[in-house]
Amino acid sequence: MNNLTKSIALLLLLVSSNTFAQSINIKFQDAIKKGLSLQANAKTSTDFLKSANHFERIAQVETKEWTAPYYAAFGNLMAGLTLDDKTLKDQYWDKALQEVEQAESLSADNSEIYALKGYIQFMKMSIDPQSRMSFMSASSSSLAKAKALNPENPRIYLIIGQDTFYTPEAFGGGKRKAKPILETAVAKFAIFKAANVIEPNWGEEQAKILVEKCN
Amino acid sequence: MKIFILTSLFLFTLSIGYTQVKISGTITSTRGNLIANVNIILKDSYDGATSDSKGQFEFTTLEKGPHTIEFSALNFGKDSVKVNIDSKNLILALIIKEEINTLHTVNISAGSFITGDKQKGAVLSSLDIATIAGARADVFAAMQTLPGAQTSFSESGLFVRGGAASETKTYFDGMLVKSAFNATVPDQASRGRLSPFLFKGTSFSAGGYSAQYGQALSSTLILESTDLPEKTTTGISLLTVGAGLDQNIRLKNSAITVGAYYYNLKPAYSVIKQQNQYIKAPELIGGNIQYKAKTSETGIFKFYASYAKTNLSLNSTDVNFDSVNYFSNNNTNTYINTSYKEYLNRNWKIEAGAAYNKDSNAGMMAVNSYSREDDMAEGRLTLTNYFGKLSNLKFGGEMFNTKRLESYNGLQRYYNDQLSSAFAETDLYLNANVVARLGLRAEYSSYLHQYNLAPRTSLGLKTGLNAQVSFAYGRFYQNPEDEYLIIKALEFEQAEHYILKYEINTPFRNFRIEGYYKNYGKLTKTTNGNLDNSGSGYAKGFELFWKDKKTISNIEYWFSYSFLDTKRNFRDFPALATPSFAAKHTATMVYKQFISILNTQVNATYTFASGRPYVNPNNLIYLADKTKSYNNLSLSLSYLTHVCKQFTVLYLNASNIPGFNNVYGYQYSKDGQNRKTIMPASKRDFLIGMLITIGDNTFVR
Repeated sequence: MNNLTKSIALLLLLVSSNTFAQSINIKFQDAIKKGLSLQANAKTSTDFLKSANHFERIAQVETKEWTAPYYAAFGNLMAGLTLDDKTLKDQYWDKALQEVEQAESLSADNSEIYALKGYIQFMKMSIDPQSRMSFMSASSSSLAKAKALNPENPRIYLIIGQDTFYTPEAFGGGKRKAKPILETAVAKFAIFKAANVIEPNWGEEQAKILVEKCN
Repeated sequence: MKIFILTSLFLFTLSIGYTQVKISGTITSTRGNLIANVNIILKDSYDGATSDSKGQFEFTTLEKGPHTIEFSALNFGKDSVKVNIDSKNLILALIIKEEINTLHTVNISAGSFITGDKQKGAVLSSLDIATIAGARADVFAAMQTLPGAQTSFSESGLFVRGGAASETKTYFDGMLVKSAFNATVPDQASRGRLSPFLFKGTSFSAGGYSAQYGQALSSTLILESTDLPEKTTTGISLLTVGAGLDQNIRLKNSAITVGAYYYNLKPAYSVIKQQNQYIKAPELIGGNIQYKAKTSETGIFKFYASYAKTNLSLNSTDVNFDSVNYFSNNNTNTYINTSYKEYLNRNWKIEAGAAYNKDSNAGMMAVNSYSREDDMAEGRLTLTNYFGKLSNLKFGGEMFNTKRLESYNGLQRYYNDQLSSAFAETDLYLNANVVARLGLRAEYSSYLHQYNLAPRTSLGLKTGLNAQVSFAYGRFYQNPEDEYLIIKALEFEQAEHYILKYEINTPFRNFRIEGYYKNYGKLTKTTNGNLDNSGSGYAKGFELFWKDKKTISNIEYWFSYSFLDTKRNFRDFPALATPSFAAKHTATMVYKQFISILNTQVNATYTFASGRPYVNPNNLIYLADKTKSYNNLSLSLSYLTHVCKQFTVLYLNASNIPGFNNVYGYQYSKDGQNRKTIMPASKRDFLIGMLITIGDNTFVR
C-alpha cells in the first residue's frame, strides 16, 4: 500500500510537472500568437506600439526566447513607419534596433534576425541620408549576412526590394531595379514554410503589393 | 487518504487560479500630464497593458501575492511599485519621471559648432562640409560659412572674432597640426592640406573651448578622423587641375588606405585669368598612407602619414618700383599622426597620441634666396573617468617640441621651444538640465622661460525641451608667432573670452544667438624695430545662425550673420585700430537641394562682408579707410551617375558667378603716390571633376 501510494504520488507528480512544462510552452505560444494577431490587425502607430509592448512583456519573462524581442522590434519598426514625426520615428527605431540586437544575442546566426536588423538600419538611414551614410553600409552587411545564412528567406528579398523601390534612381534604386528583386521575394514566399507557428511569417502581402506598384 | 489530500490540493490550486483580479489606473508625469503609450508590466508575468491617450490602463491577472509593477515609456525613465494582489481589484495612480535622455540633455556648447555624423549636437554633417559651394571641399573654407569666421581670400587661415589667422589652431585627433595649409603665394589664401573626407567629425570653436586645447588665442578647429572603412574600394578622381587615386583595403579588424595625387594648375590658369603672372603654375604631388585597427571591441589604433611637394614661381607687380617681383617656392611637407584610444573598463578611457610635422619652404624673393624649415613633434596622453550618469573627469598632459630654422641669403637664425603642458577638466552634470565644466590648463615654455595657468569654465542650462542657455569664460595663452620668436624670446600672448549663448536645437532645425566679449593682452608689438609684449585689444559682437532642413523636403539651408567690433594695437600698429582682416558685418547663406529627376545635388553659397579697413599713408588716421563691401555667389553641381557600372559623381564648382569685383585691400608705395589693389587670385573660378568609386555597391557614397 505504502509502495503503491508512493508510486501513484510519483506518477502524479511526473504527469503534473510534464503538463506544467507543456502549459508554459503553450502559454508562451498563445501569448506570441495573441501578439501576432495584435500586429496583424494594427493600423495606427499606437496599435503597433501596443503590440510591441505586449512582446516586451513576454520578453522580460522568457529571457531565452528570441521571438519575443524580435516581434517587439518589428512592432517598434512599424510604429515608426506609421508616424510622420521624424524625431519620434528615430526614437522608435533606436528602440527597435536595441531589441533586434537583443534577439541577436539569444539566437546566433539567425537569418530572420539579420534581415529585420538590415530593415531597421535602412530606415534609420532614411531619416537623414546625408549624414547617416554609415547606416547604409551597416544595413547592406546585415542583409548580406541574412542571405548567407539562409538564401531561401523571402523577407530578405522583400526588404532589399522595397529599399530599392524607395531609393531614388540616382542612387541605384527605382522601380525598374526593384521589380526583379520583389518578384524573387514573391516566388520565395510561395514556397516558404515557417519552422513553427510562432516564427516569422510576415511580408507576403506586402511583396505582392509592391510588385504590382512596379508595373 | 494521501491520494485524497493530493487531489484536493490540486483542486484548491485550480480554484485559486481562476479568480481574476483587475488592475487599472492612470499614469501621469511628474508635471501632472497624462502620459500615453506607457508599458505597464506585472513583473515576471505576461500581464500588463499600454496606457491610452488619457493615460489610463487596465488589465486582469491570475497572479496572487506580492508583486512588482514596472512601467516605462519613451523619453521617460523606468520605475516600479510594489503591490500585493489578493482578491480585490487594484486601482493605481502611477507617476513616471522624465528620463535623462541624451538627446535632451544639456551640453557644453558655448562658442562651438559641432559637425559630424553621429556626434551629439552636430549641426552639419561631414558631407555638408565637403559639399558647400565655393568651399571646394576645403575644411577651412567651409568653416567660413559659419558665424564667427571672417571671409578671407588673401591670407590663409581662419580669422575668428577679431583674431588673426595665427590665433586659430587645428587639431587632428587631439594633436596640433603645425602647418595646416598648402604652400602660400603672396597675398593669396591657400587651401587646407587635410581633406574633409578624412574626418567623421569637426568641431569649430569660436571661443571658450576646453582646457584640453592650448596655444590658441581665438579659436580651435578640432578634427576627428573616421574609423575603419566598411569596404575595400578604389576611388579615382579626375579634375581639371589634376588627378588622384585612393585604395581602401578592408581586412577583418583593420584597414589600409593608400592614396596619391598630382595637381597642376597650369592648364586651368591658361583659361582662368590670374592676378599674378605665373612662371611656373603651382604643381603639387603627394601621397598618404593610413592604417587603422580595432584593437578590441572598444579600442582603436590609427596611423596617418602624408607627404606633399609643391613648386611654383611667379612675378608680381611691385608698387614701389613699377616693376615686377620674382617669387618662387619649393615646399615639402611631412605629417604623421598616430593615436590610440581604449576603454580600460566601464569607467576609464585612455587616449594616447604622437604627431610629427615638418614643413620646408625654399626659393627666391626677387634676387634673394630664402628658406624656412618648421619642425614639430608632439606627444599626448589623456585619461577620462566617467562617473555618475553623465559626468566625467579628464586629465592629461602633452609635450610639444617646436623648431624653426630660417636662412636669408646664407644668413641663418634658429629657435627651439619645448612646451610642456598639463590639463584637468570635469564636466559635472547636476542633473539633465544643468552642467558645469571646470577646467585648468598649465603650460611651461623652455624658450620663453615662462609658465602660464589658464582657467576655463563653461555652464549649460536647459530652459526647455530643445532650448538651452550657455555661458563660458576662459583664459587663453599662446606663443607669439614664429616670425617674432625667431628674433627674440618674448612672453605668452593672452586673451580672455566671455560668451553668452541661447540656442534652440531640434534634429532638423537649429537656431542660435551668441554674444561675446574678448580681451587681448600681451600681444606682440614692434616699435622702431623693438619687439615686446605691450600690445592689447578687444573684440565684441554677436552672431546669429539658422539652419533648416525640415520645411521643404530635399532642401536644406543655413544662414549666418556676424557682427564684429574690434580694435587692436599690435604688430606695427601705431595706435589702437580695427585690423584689416576684420569686417564689421558678415553674412552667409548656404543652400543645398537634391533634384531627384536630374539626379543632381545643387549647392549655392552667397557671402556678403562689409568693407575692411586698409592703411592709407595719406590719411593721418591709421586704418581709417575702408574697402567696398565683398560679395560672392558660388554654385556647385554634383551629378550622380554610373560610369562602367561604377558609382560616379560629376562635379562642377563655379565661384563668383556674377563677377563681383572684390577688393581685399590696397598696398601703397612708400611715397604714398601709387597703390596696388589686392584682389582675389582670379575674378571667377571654376573646377570640373569626376569622382569614381569602384567596389562600393551601396547607393550612397
